[in-house]
Amino acid sequence: MAQKQAVRALVNHMKTSRLRTRSQLLALTLGLIILGVGSVANAQTIGVSIPAATHGWAGGLNFHAEATKQRLEAANPGLRIVLLTANSASEQANDLEDLLAIHHIDALVVLPFESAPLTGPVRNVKRQGVFVTVVDRGLSEAGIEDVYVAGNNAEMGRVSAQYIKQSLSDGGDIVVLRGIPTVIDEQRFDAFMAELEGSNIKVLDNKYANWNRDDGFTVMQDFLARFPKIDAVWAQDDDIAIGVIQAVRQARRQDELFIVGGGGMKEIVKRVMDGDRLTPVDVLYPPSMIATAMELTALKFLFNVPISGRYILGSPLITQENAAEYYFPDSPF
Amino acid sequence: MSTHRVSKSFGHVEVLTHIDLEIHTGEVLAILGENGAGKSTLVKLLAGYEEVSAGELRLATADGSTVPVASWNIEVAEQHGIVLIHQEFNLAEQLSAAENIFLGNELKRGLFLDQERMLRLARKYLLALNCQVDPATPVSELAVADKQMVEIAKAYARNSKLLILDEPTAVLTSKESEVLFRLIERLKQQAVAIIYISHKLEEIERIADRITILRDGEMVGCYPASSLSTDDMARLMVGRELSNLFPNIPAPLDEIALRVVNASVPGLVQAASFELRRGEVLGFAGLVGSGRTALMEAIVGLRKLTASAQIEVAGKAVSYPNLAAARDDGVAYLTKDRKASGLLLNLNLVFNFSLLSLSALFLQRKYAGLLIDQKKEQRAFEQAIKTFDIRLKDSAITAGDLSGGNQQKLLLAKIMAVAPRIIIIDEPTRGIDIGTKSQIYHFIAELAANGHSIILISSDMMEIIGLSHRVAVMCRGELTGILVDDEIEEHEIMRYATGLKRQPGKNNSEDQLCA
Amino acid sequence: MPEKFGFKLDLKTTGPFLALITLIIIGMLVNDAFLSTGNLSNILARSSFIGIVAIGATFVITAGGIDLSVGAMAAFISGCMIIIMNSLIGTIESSVAIILLAIIASAGIGALAGLINGILTTKAKIEAFIVTLGTMGVYRSLITYMADGGTLSLDFSIGDIYSEVYYGDLLGLPYPAWVFLGVAIIGYVLLNKTVFGRHCLAIGSNEKVALYSAIHVDRVKTMTYMLQGMCVAIATIIYVPRLGSASGQTGILWELEAIAAVIIGGTVLRGGYGRIWGTVVGALILTLIGNILNLTDAISNYLNGAVQGIIVIAAVYLQRGAWRRNKQ
Repeated sequence: MAQKQAVRALVNHMKTSRLRTRSQLLALTLGLIILGVGSVANAQTIGVSIPAATHGWAGGLNFHAEATKQRLEAANPGLRIVLLTANSASEQANDLEDLLAIHHIDALVVLPFESAPLTGPVRNVKRQGVFVTVVDRGLSEAGIEDVYVAGNNAEMGRVSAQYIKQSLSDGGDIVVLRGIPTVIDEQRFDAFMAELEGSNIKVLDNKYANWNRDDGFTVMQDFLARFPKIDAVWAQDDDIAIGVIQAVRQARRQDELFIVGGGGMKEIVKRVMDGDRLTPVDVLYPPSMIATAMELTALKFLFNVPISGRYILGSPLITQENAAEYYFPDSPF
Repeated sequence: MSTHRVSKSFGHVEVLTHIDLEIHTGEVLAILGENGAGKSTLVKLLAGYEEVSAGELRLATADGSTVPVASWNIEVAEQHGIVLIHQEFNLAEQLSAAENIFLGNELKRGLFLDQERMLRLARKYLLALNCQVDPATPVSELAVADKQMVEIAKAYARNSKLLILDEPTAVLTSKESEVLFRLIERLKQQAVAIIYISHKLEEIERIADRITILRDGEMVGCYPASSLSTDDMARLMVGRELSNLFPNIPAPLDEIALRVVNASVPGLVQAASFELRRGEVLGFAGLVGSGRTALMEAIVGLRKLTASAQIEVAGKAVSYPNLAAARDDGVAYLTKDRKASGLLLNLNLVFNFSLLSLSALFLQRKYAGLLIDQKKEQRAFEQAIKTFDIRLKDSAITAGDLSGGNQQKLLLAKIMAVAPRIIIIDEPTRGIDIGTKSQIYHFIAELAANGHSIILISSDMMEIIGLSHRVAVMCRGELTGILVDDEIEEHEIMRYATGLKRQPGKNNSEDQLCA
Repeated sequence: MPEKFGFKLDLKTTGPFLALITLIIIGMLVNDAFLSTGNLSNILARSSFIGIVAIGATFVITAGGIDLSVGAMAAFISGCMIIIMNSLIGTIESSVAIILLAIIASAGIGALAGLINGILTTKAKIEAFIVTLGTMGVYRSLITYMADGGTLSLDFSIGDIYSEVYYGDLLGLPYPAWVFLGVAIIGYVLLNKTVFGRHCLAIGSNEKVALYSAIHVDRVKTMTYMLQGMCVAIATIIYVPRLGSASGQTGILWELEAIAAVIIGGTVLRGGYGRIWGTVVGALILTLIGNILNLTDAISNYLNGAVQGIIVIAAVYLQRGAWRRNKQ
């Protein structure tokens, strides 16, 4: 009983406090689960549906989902986790149907490919009495999910802009490489631009680089050819940033500018940790949020505590000082 | 319908000059001319496939007068009941015979197609043509002759007023042609006008009412059929006297060039055995589908022979895994279908000419080492043009632009470029005018006289009889006899070709006739 | 007819060049930086990947085939090269030797991958479209699997030396451009001056005629796929040193860009007519469009795809439509 109360308190704490780091949350939930092994009354099944590992961030997502599945299943013999990955929104909708019909899931953790097309399918799952946790991309309709775990895209854009403003206190010219035209990209970009408003920082141009290294390289090459003076680059994503770094090195202009990426990819975090002048910081948007979501969902069944609400993970600035905290050399991302 | 001083030019080349033509209902007007004389172009103008460059087309009106045609194209022509049946068929290969017959003219019941009625009517039309084809069969599975019947049935179903037949019998057996002629008679009685193009002068003599003769795009004249003999026709077409159509060929040597024993192709040829001597022309007669082509293709490695087959070339046992092996051993095959398997119609003449010989290792010094020596290739081609008298309008044109006769000569040049000892020629004169035919016969005679050995497959009985030293006859995949001397005669050949007669030892199953 | 015909061929070959010159003029008007040596050499180096792959595709398409697997194959070969190089560190002293070994392996894997495509189309008699769609899926998953869903990165010790292959230059021209030029010249000679090229043309024009002309149809077709595989390998060899990494995203849509470059260049999609220089120009046109769009903010980012689509269609129209109009 005391145990249960402790859990409840902890969960409430998680909800109210802004969790700054992934590891804090992880420690909390892990601690809970290991603490309270074996309180699953009868076998429970959690379905996890996420996009396939088609790019770096999604690769990290898959890595963390798989690792969390292993860990949770090993620690809780009564728990079964079915992990399905999809290549498109429609494939994911099919996966949801399969999870319901074939695997008879009790809970669903879903990172929707796209918000609007999956709102209906997820609502359908919910109507069958399944506990639903939505991750990262919110559904288009409120009130479907029991739990919402997400990074904060707007904050990510804001934090990046703040750093650039602060570093170029005398003003300067910057270029922006964007992702793929989606809501996520829109939120990040709009918050970034809003934060810069009124400052003496000038955005020379912005182009889509599709969250992809090759396009990051190409777009940056053209920016470098076009603008003789660039003081900073907001690459928004670490895959793009890798391409940007190569283009800047090719043009031998690494001394005149710096790059702010995003996500927390290990290669970039390592550079930050090593004090690379070109990438002085990174902004976190961790794919490990899927682990958080899965652990929270598991809690619901292990301890039968009421878990619901929104868990928004922060997007802290990764600097040379705190970089070690965010460095996971074994992760693919 | 009539034409008045109609001309057609492509670029600066005028292919038809001032043609005047009148076609009356219920008559057969034959158009005669050598290949390239402009026959096909003329009928394409009439059917709206090509635009007239000068002059005018006129249509008869109800009161008997004629009015000029304002704008003429395929659709308008079809509305007036004018249908052209091509040398190349105009059928949708994947659709059934019935669907083709009613294509663009489908019968409906309410919103839906009336499949049943179309099938029934299609069967009726086909039966009227003595064609036993199931109208539900996809056209791609039909024999060439049956495709032609479907084309004619299609025109018939549309109540055509003017039916233009361009070389209809080139792909038909004589029996099938007979059915066609009877149909033409019947159409005439129904007041249908027919324009008939053919190289077979006997046919023209038999069915035409009037004959228009073209030479080099100009009208030689228009004559009542009864006033011309076949000799007259040939003379008017060619513009010169044709002497000895079939040249004399010296007797073959004793040396055996090719020996085939027990050659079988599963489902197509059963245990055929024959010998070919040096300098010999061995004719292969038989009905369409008797297995002659399959046997020859198997010998040269284009098909699989059964294991029991033994083939010797110049006394040496051989088994060619592919055509290249046969070619390198001096055995060449000249295909019967020059458009589908003989020439690359969209490529230029030089490429076509050298295609077979380019990769022949034993010839490689000729024009292809590591790289193709295009100068030598061009020279070899120019030499071949002279040797085979290929007539070009412009050296840059593609093989598809050549007339049938020149295509056939180009094909012959292509085969002869590998200097074969044994040449298998399949239907060398199908759809070719008499002048070119005569030339090809002389080439064959010359080759034999120079010690080459020739197998000649032909459905043209005159050709077989006129050129061959001996004639092998096949029936339903069996070699029923090899005829010599006086036996080489039309009726005798037909007896073997239909299976009425067989030589002892040639085959033992006497239970069935060839149809 | 003959005069017209000559004219038609003429526009068919000059059409793509006209489109290229038009784009260059547009580029000059859009931004002065366009003509800077840096930008020009970027364009040349960048277009070399698609260009080299497209030269291979010219053979496959001329011979009447199609290869959709090239993009995934490029990713797969990139992954293989990186794994090979990373695993050889420590066993072989010289980095150059390691790189050379990886290059040889890459050519071998490319040829083998092409051989598989070729044998499946010719011997198993499956349509090239299906075969290469299948192998595309296979290679795409293999690279994702090899990279654990993430990115394979080349060890820095080798990456620094190898990167010279992409970033270095000779006589002011970047190495990738030299390789592109070399492959184009070899491709031109192969297609236009050798028996093999003639046979590709014949097979694409009419396979049955080719068979009746004693051409080893299956062998030649298989060789076109092998050639395509080796071209992909060469493109990969100059691609890997650029970013030193490979992931599931590497080479995405290369197959479509390569086919587009081939068609823009005047090669006929159904086979029987191939133009290597046209393909080179086609690849340059595709790269130029992206470059020019990046050099201007006159066009909304959201409309980039539309602009690309319109220019590609216009380029092909210039090459086909113009002569059709003239014929009437």
